[in-house]
Amino acid sequence: MPLVRACLSAAALLALVLPAPAAEKVDYGRDIRPILSNHCFKCHGPAVQKAKLRLDDRAAAVNKGALVPGKHADSELLKRVLLADGDDGRMPPADVGARLTPDQVAKLKAWIEQGAEYAPHWAFVAPKRPTVPAGAHPIDAFIRARLEKDKLAPSKEADKAALIRRVTLDLTGLLPTPAEVDAFLKDDSPQAYEKVVDRLLTSPHYGERQARHWLDLARYADSNGYTIDGPRQIWAYRDWVIKALNDDMPFDQFTREQLAGDLLPNATTAQKVATGFHRNTSFNEEGGTDAEQFRVERTVDRANTTAAVWLGLTAGCAQCHDHKYDPVSQKDYYRLYAFFDSCDEPTMPIGGPPNLEDTIAKLNQMEFWLQKNGGSREDIAIIRDHIKRAQGKVPTTLVLRERKAPRQTFVQIRGDFLRKGDVVQPAYPTAISATSATQRLTRLDLAKWLTSAENPLTARVTVNREWQKFFGRGLVETENDFGLQGSFPTHPELLDWLAVEFREGAWSTKRLHKLIVTSATYKQSSAARRDLTERDPRNFLLGRQTRLRLEAEIIRDVSLSASGLLNPKLGGAGVFPPQPKEVFLFTQSNHPWAESKGPDRYRRGMYTYIWRQSQHPLLTTFDASDAQVACTKRNRSNTPLQALHLANDPVFVEFATALGTRIEAEGPKDDAGKIAFAFRVCLSREPTTQEAQRVLAYLDAKRKADAKTAWQAVARVLMNLDEFITRE
Amino acid sequence: MTPHELDSDSLLARTRRHFFRDCGVGVGAMALSSLLARDACGAKERIDPLAPKKPHFPAKAKAVIYLFMAGAPSQLELFSPKPELNKLSGQKVPESFTKGKRFAFIKGDAKLLGSVRKFEKAGQCGMDISELLPHHKEVADELCWVRGMKTDVFNHGPAKCFINTGSPQFGRPSMGAWLTYGLGSECDSLPGFVVLQSGPRGPRGGASLYGSGFLPSVYQGVPFLKGPNPILDLAPPPKVSTKEQGEFVDAVNDLNKLRHDATGDPEIQTRIAAYEMAYRMQTSAPELMDLSKESKKTLESYGAVAGKPSFAANCVLARRLVQRGVRFIQLYHTDWDHHGGSLDLTKPLDSICKEVDQPCAALIKDLKQLGLLDSTIVVWGGEFGRTPMGESRETIGRDHHVDAFTMWLAGGGFKGGTLYGKTDEIGYNVTEQEVHVHDLQATILNQMGMDHTKLTFRFQGRDYRLTDVHGKVVKEILA
Repeated sequence: MPLVRACLSAAALLALVLPAPAAEKVDYGRDIRPILSNHCFKCHGPAVQKAKLRLDDRAAAVNKGALVPGKHADSELLKRVLLADGDDGRMPPADVGARLTPDQVAKLKAWIEQGAEYAPHWAFVAPKRPTVPAGAHPIDAFIRARLEKDKLAPSKEADKAALIRRVTLDLTGLLPTPAEVDAFLKDDSPQAYEKVVDRLLTSPHYGERQARHWLDLARYADSNGYTIDGPRQIWAYRDWVIKALNDDMPFDQFTREQLAGDLLPNATTAQKVATGFHRNTSFNEEGGTDAEQFRVERTVDRANTTAAVWLGLTAGCAQCHDHKYDPVSQKDYYRLYAFFDSCDEPTMPIGGPPNLEDTIAKLNQMEFWLQKNGGSREDIAIIRDHIKRAQGKVPTTLVLRERKAPRQTFVQIRGDFLRKGDVVQPAYPTAISATSATQRLTRLDLAKWLTSAENPLTARVTVNREWQKFFGRGLVETENDFGLQGSFPTHPELLDWLAVEFREGAWSTKRLHKLIVTSATYKQSSAARRDLTERDPRNFLLGRQTRLRLEAEIIRDVSLSASGLLNPKLGGAGVFPPQPKEVFLFTQSNHPWAESKGPDRYRRGMYTYIWRQSQHPLLTTFDASDAQVACTKRNRSNTPLQALHLANDPVFVEFATALGTRIEAEGPKDDAGKIAFAFRVCLSREPTTQEAQRVLAYLDAKRKADAKTAWQAVARVLMNLDEFITRE
Repeated sequence: MTPHELDSDSLLARTRRHFFRDCGVGVGAMALSSLLARDACGAKERIDPLAPKKPHFPAKAKAVIYLFMAGAPSQLELFSPKPELNKLSGQKVPESFTKGKRFAFIKGDAKLLGSVRKFEKAGQCGMDISELLPHHKEVADELCWVRGMKTDVFNHGPAKCFINTGSPQFGRPSMGAWLTYGLGSECDSLPGFVVLQSGPRGPRGGASLYGSGFLPSVYQGVPFLKGPNPILDLAPPPKVSTKEQGEFVDAVNDLNKLRHDATGDPEIQTRIAAYEMAYRMQTSAPELMDLSKESKKTLESYGAVAGKPSFAANCVLARRLVQRGVRFIQLYHTDWDHHGGSLDLTKPLDSICKEVDQPCAALIKDLKQLGLLDSTIVVWGGEFGRTPMGESRETIGRDHHVDAFTMWLAGGGFKGGTLYGKTDEIGYNVTEQEVHVHDLQATILNQMGMDHTKLTFRFQGRDYRLTDVHGKVVKEILA
């Protein structure tokens, strides 16, 4: 186990790949703590202290002689790890783990020689703005300084066609039009690229693209989840996110409105809508359930999601017991939980008669009562019908509202809500906040604290996730874990600089995005390079860009863009593009899927109605988030079912047919010209000679079979290319 | 240099590394050793993420067929005769049993309900089997009877999720996903994890029950639909022949190869392999689904009819999938939720038992005569059991019961004819040899050559596993 863990630990891996230059001072957090944490703390750590020894506390370790600062030869720790394999006293014991590697031993040695100093966990200390190394662009200055240390050169800038396709996809999720590409290629001014970036940042599609990332965190769906998975109306929240991002709402305000919009003075409707963030939890409608059990589950989800999204902490580990690695006690967990324990969960009409909300609330209560008291299915159905009709009058959305009298929150022993432990009050995790409250803290206090200057995590965690959008990986690879088991940043100074810059730059996300996409680091070519492949195979040092397979929704969007069918309408209720009826055969309920006709058939992927338990096959096939818990990073798998979907799904065949027609209608007369046009539409570039020849050969063969559909067949090939669904 | 200079050997090597790294198995010692082993023997290698991987230790079984009786069958009508319960039928349940317990529908004053079903001791092992399952009696000695099953959650969705993923909350990888992730698949023309469904409706919980959670989606169960094209989008578009589809794939892959030359990205090699496998599936899946090639005798033994979807037909398909090297096959059959009312313990129970009894027994016999039973684990059971108390509804039925129920396993090194687990006189609690859901999961993994404590995936800063922090291998039921 320890060996596997060591191998799997990104931190350890990073240390292997990128050894610190020998002369450099050993860094406890980067070099030593991963060794101790992976190999020692389990028996000699905060939870267990075999032989009364703990190695997570310097004084205790020195006291027991395990460490003799400055004298590695006298330190029992080093003696023990060096003992022969057969020796009983070797650490870690043979049945617990393999012996430490020579590199690890060397690090321990150097560390003890240098005084065996411990340091608090880097991520729990508020970031300070580091000095920027010399250079034109701060990001490049940091990145290049690190590359130079390993004597690696950055890659050359990607060609302009690749660049405009990349930045357009990253910022708006749509393809640049051939006209946009041409204009950029022709523009020789030094500001040409910046002009494109500014245009994209003001595009309404920017908000859509960025919102979809945020909705992954919000576990957004249009249904209730669990087994019945009934429909819900909460798209107003989704639209609120799009608008907030298009308006570049400062991230601190964005945080306050979503976590506590209802508690703001004179809260507006929009601010209440924003609290839908925490109404995106699943809701169990199954008969015979205990309402309190599932209210607790929703509250747990709110606490876990808040910790994951803003703090990058795996607080959920402390639901049943004190966290094994991070200084989050079970009490800390329920203090965080307590912030969300006193929420009511009303359905808010947006407009409509003034008593509508009360009517809906009363009907909801009746439904609960019936369920709890074994009401017949028929009665429940009648009530549900009433609710549906009441809600049908005007759009509604789900919001949070604080109860007048707060609930008393208890520690739940072993995470069992029936076993009540000590009473706790809402409070921030003690390891990262020294504040002691004089009065009961509210969700609004929590939201303010999260974006306060004293909070060491929120800005770092956020800029890291933003970075991940543009490079496929954060500067901290474990974007969901900034705790002690998380990986060490590849570029700690850059991370801190970005965090401070973000916070002091009025929390402007657009400003941050512009900063990133105008860096030379971002603009590099993504092509493989032998020296990088050998020395930095995972591209931690960013000596090149990375090719990234597009997300599920964006694959639909680029296909719509290329085919010319895209309906660019923003927002509104979810839509029902065609999907095979078989999707519901494997779930309990046969949900309605009234296939959208007309323009709604061609909306962007993010507007497809999300039945949480039976999502559209495009979404499940291409790793969309499952909307069960906050998804901080999507997988990018590459599978045969994806091939089948793109090649054969009637929706994509329809798109290809439309693209074929478009090539014929809009392309030049000659075949070569048409092929070039098709490449420009799909890939924003000209074909190479070999590519053009291959396409031509296919075209000729198709023509012989059926001249009328030959270009459609070509279009289908282009839309199935790896490059088509990749941001290069 | 330009990426064109990348020679194909180093490229292939890199592609493999790329898989082991990014497809989750990571650079763990296990993956690395199997990689090296296969390198050494120089066999033609698959470069897709489903390529077979070595188990932690020599495996007893290579494949799993999980017959999921969705809705939860009543152990008291099928496997657990309780004369004392029959005697006390209609009386209030002693409070000592229900104190502190929670139920979905029934209340504390629920009355005990005896069973009217007749039981017989079957086989050498003398297992009590109800009149509802006559064919099971014929294979009683092949089956390993676990009569002391216990689970944690009493609502269908969470309980199904729990037995499949080890957690009552949706979003974790299912057992099939874990095993496919750990072992890959022997079959390069079908998915590694296939889900089949029969009965009036799909299982509650839907795709999450066979999802891949945080594992890459290539490990998720692929639901097979009825008809000749069981996989969504398997058939080429209308008017595109198989030959034309082949030309299409060639064109796509040739252009992909050119792009690979330009970028050197191993991900493109994977894409090429994916299109090739997708193309093979187009032939192999319809061939799989075509039961007309099975002998009349075989089909009759299962009670299956070629071209007619049923649980029986799915059992034949399960055997065919095992023969093709698919790793994990899960059959859902609904609906066993006999609360009383429209779905009660009289005729509805009779008919669902009839639907599954013969095919289950036939599957066991068929696997055995083909020599596949030793290497295939067959699992039978629901998400929980049913209460000794009846419900106060129009007709007889029982509520959800988490404290004691029966499952059976066969093949794959499980000891046939074992009777494991005892319950009290009314069938309320397990009194001996309890097997918790996590124990069952650990044991199945063990027979597949996987140590349930080592089959892990790092997510959110923690090494997750199917059995959470629990589970012990139940050695007593293994041969």
